[in-house]
Amino acid sequence: MSGNIKLNTPSNGSVTISTPDTASAVTVTIPAATDTATLNTQAQTLTNKTLTAAGANSIEATSGPTSTQLAGNRNKIINGAMMIDQRNAGASFTVTGSNYTLDRWLAYASVTSKYSVQQSSTAPAGFAKSLVATSLSAYSVGSSEIFSLNQIIEGYNVADFGFGTANAKTFTVSFWAQSSLTGTFTAFFANSDQSRWYTAPVVINTANTWTYFSITVPGDTAGTWLTDTNKGMYVSINLSVGSTYQGAASSGWSGASIKYGITGQQSLVGTNGATFYITGVQLEKGATATPFENRLYGTELALCQRYFVKLYEPPMRGVATGTTAGGASRMYVPYPVQMRAIPSLSIGGTFNFWNGLSTTTGSVLAGYYVGNSTFGGEVDINVAAAYTQGQVCAAYTNGGNAIVNISAEL
Amino acid sequence: MISYQQWVDPITKELAKCVKRSDGWFIPYAIDNTDYQQFKIQVADGTPLEDPDGNVMTQEEVDAFLKTIP
Repeated sequence: MSGNIKLNTPSNGSVTISTPDTASAVTVTIPAATDTATLNTQAQTLTNKTLTAAGANSIEATSGPTSTQLAGNRNKIINGAMMIDQRNAGASFTVTGSNYTLDRWLAYASVTSKYSVQQSSTAPAGFAKSLVATSLSAYSVGSSEIFSLNQIIEGYNVADFGFGTANAKTFTVSFWAQSSLTGTFTAFFANSDQSRWYTAPVVINTANTWTYFSITVPGDTAGTWLTDTNKGMYVSINLSVGSTYQGAASSGWSGASIKYGITGQQSLVGTNGATFYITGVQLEKGATATPFENRLYGTELALCQRYFVKLYEPPMRGVATGTTAGGASRMYVPYPVQMRAIPSLSIGGTFNFWNGLSTTTGSVLAGYYVGNSTFGGEVDINVAAAYTQGQVCAAYTNGGNAIVNISAEL
Repeated sequence: MISYQQWVDPITKELAKCVKRSDGWFIPYAIDNTDYQQFKIQVADGTPLEDPDGNVMTQEEVDAFLKTIP
């Protein structure tokens, strides 16, 4: 038997009661927008059916999926597993101000040389690398000083969060961390000008032990949130925060006087040799932390290269400008991926050049010219033995010490 | 301490559309480039900017120059 009985009600629309097609079939009808429905305790399988949300409603899972084969590109954090370190290749870097360290990770220090950052092979199960911040002294933090690890997410990559609108989405950040110090550190989130901000505690209960953290943050319906190539969202772990910038953990997004830390929080730079490790950082839409999304290394590297590229033996081709430029050659250097913005550029090392007839070495940089492109740039190289003006000029391998750094970081 | 220097295009002999920072980076005049945003803030606040010959520009010269770039 099949059929429907429709009961019209004056205030809530209608209630539909559907008869089952078989003895085991179950139909659940949600009668009103504010009501909920729960499937019974028997295992249920939805076959050849579509779940549809009426009107402006949406369907959300209230607990995490059990499969680890989740849809890709959930994670808004780039290099969350700390696998890529183009700038320092695993070497320790002393933080002097605002310094990019491992790819996409910006270390900040109000006072120079109080801590270092390094890629580490100490990692929890399932990960190969982490980022470690190490205190270089026992420094008493000034009232307005901050020491932090940050990733600034490009606006395009969080545009779907709908922040600053009535449709702002909840997000969850998850990560593994360990510290030689117990106590509270601070997770901090903000918009581009930090006029909207949110803090949450990161409590280390046991020293030197990897701990998994999951922090769910409500969407911010207010403020201005950029959704273009500029700064979309700050995601920070604040390692030390002066008293001026400490306050209670957020109960919601704030536009009041900014607080970067939780009252009484731990200070990494206050103890010489103290460490803070972090890896597996994931930031995703929704109220549930899903398993870390392991992207292929090449994919992750390409994502990083939108913001920074270190080219060894750069594949440059150009034309000798001869006497016009005092022996320079104007060379074109292509970028591996389209950069976020027209980048800054630096050149180091020694280049070899070939014009089809002879080689020359020992060249140095003469200048850099923008070319107004996010796809490639032009540089001028002084060729030690100047080629004839108009000759084609190619850079080629010279023992691996010629480097071009290209940066379009946020 | 960071400083900046204007740069000349060796072919056109005109000011290049970039500035050289004292750590060796060339920074284009591109409004979405955060190094460029920082450059404008810093030189407006007194960070030294040299002309192509290495002479430190006066603040009046810097302010006038800033009005000519994006």
